[in-house]
Amino acid sequence: MNSPAASAPTPSFLERNDFLIRRLHSLSGLVPVGAYMCVHLITNASLLGGASVFQNNVFTIHSLPFLPLIEWVFIFSPIIFHAVVGIWIAKSGRSNLQNYRLTGNRRYTWQRMTGYIAIIFIFTHVFHLHGWFHSDWWLKSVAEPMGMAQFRPYNAASSLANAMNSLGVVWPIFYAIGVLACTFHLANGIWTAGITWGVWLTPKSQNRASIACALFGVLIGMAGLSSLVAVKTTDAKAAEVIENEMYKSRIDAHTITPDDHKRSGTHESVEVKPVPVQ
Amino acid sequence: MIAPGNEATTKRRPAKINVRILRQDGPGLPGYWERHQVDYEPDMNVISVLQKVAAQAKTSEGQKVPPVAWDCGCLEEVCGSCTMVINGRVRQSCSALVDRLLEDDANEIELRPMTKFPVVRDLMVDRSRLFRSLQRVKAWVPVDGYYDMGAGPRISREEQEQNYPLSQCMSCGCCLEACPQFNKIEIQRQPGETNEDYAARKNAAFDQGFVGPHAISQAMLFNSHPVGKNMASERMEALTATGGVQACGNAQNCVAVCPKEIPLTTSIARAGRAATVYSIKKIFDR
Repeated sequence: MNSPAASAPTPSFLERNDFLIRRLHSLSGLVPVGAYMCVHLITNASLLGGASVFQNNVFTIHSLPFLPLIEWVFIFSPIIFHAVVGIWIAKSGRSNLQNYRLTGNRRYTWQRMTGYIAIIFIFTHVFHLHGWFHSDWWLKSVAEPMGMAQFRPYNAASSLANAMNSLGVVWPIFYAIGVLACTFHLANGIWTAGITWGVWLTPKSQNRASIACALFGVLIGMAGLSSLVAVKTTDAKAAEVIENEMYKSRIDAHTITPDDHKRSGTHESVEVKPVPVQ
Repeated sequence: MIAPGNEATTKRRPAKINVRILRQDGPGLPGYWERHQVDYEPDMNVISVLQKVAAQAKTSEGQKVPPVAWDCGCLEEVCGSCTMVINGRVRQSCSALVDRLLEDDANEIELRPMTKFPVVRDLMVDRSRLFRSLQRVKAWVPVDGYYDMGAGPRISREEQEQNYPLSQCMSCGCCLEACPQFNKIEIQRQPGETNEDYAARKNAAFDQGFVGPHAISQAMLFNSHPVGKNMASERMEALTATGGVQACGNAQNCVAVCPKEIPLTTSIARAGRAATVYSIKKIFDR
């Protein structure tokens, strides 16, 4: 029965480490990717409090040392890992929603569809606002001429408003679809992760968890959509004046170091040079 | 005995029943649809329709054809052998009552073999992968002899109530047919290949695929049996190997189509929890 078959295919690396890879995929979706997404959407929603509140939060984030390293280790790499393994997992199944129109089956199919949307959305979004890489050559001669890499952390609200309004309603609609897809993917992903790791076992407890995840999704989705509304109602000119004042006071208070890369190109280049500490 | 059809169904009683069958002459050959027409009788099931179809061996166009082949055994939904796809949904043909099917679609009954298993002929499929999965997870209680070992350990009522539903599995394959993560693996016999070589080649291919909800559930059943527990770590090893419990996509179709209403998704979640504990132990205990 168990005689070694002559033509048995040697399992690939992915197949041999199936369990570990899929569990890491599940974990990476919760932490750091899912956790990061919550922080990100809540920070965005702080724009509802006005350009100065949002700018203050962005200053705090940008006061972290080694920010590019943090981005790559805790944000970009996990997202890329989650996306690549996610595509592999999605391709390992075949949806049969036509024959079995059941709620769970619908969620299974949507989880994969929103995953694909999220990949397209996140990669475009990071290119649009961040630019992917910090190299000057890349930003100046590739990303910016394409209308990408538009966000300026030290002119947060104004540069964001300009970037989002640059193509009429195209960007806001693109972001609304992307944010809602990510929200469903995270909320439903938390629910399936609870089954995968064995947190909720019975149909009753899975039902309760499902309701909790749906509520969570509604909250996070509302945070995401409300920040889009806030962007739409932001007066970029007025915001930029406030941001430049805040920049000066931050420089004066030595809480940030001057960095023109993080500012909009339109500001008058009258830098307030910090007086070196004697 | 089953009471004769009620008022509502007698009113809609047709003279003839149209049946559309996806036929296949042998393994690996292309399938083709065929229409048959049989006389209506009260209280028919799909098996009795198939008996008439095979007996007349004639399509509704009047063409003589070889009798349709299908599999069946107990005729009371406990053996699982007559499982097929009826009107797009997997179920046992013995418990698929014609009057109910005609309520869904009065014009036609559609019969197809299960799509996740290799077709032997017409509606007969080879479910050997299903049984190979049970071997993979060692779904049995090991007994190493026939001598009297005395009374076994007591099983609490709670545990009995948890295990009894799992023991009702009849290995029919409904859960596998409806599972989007369980895909067909068909290995053709090569010319001159012995039975043993063919079986070994098939099993090697099956072992790379998803074990399926039925096997996960049986592993949980035997892992909570006082004697079966002895092999718990071997079962967990199988459930965390290639195609183990991690291949589940949580579509939860299995539990929705299970004719025995076995809490398969609860078993899968229990297996997930056990796999979490087992894999962490494996890392830190070595």
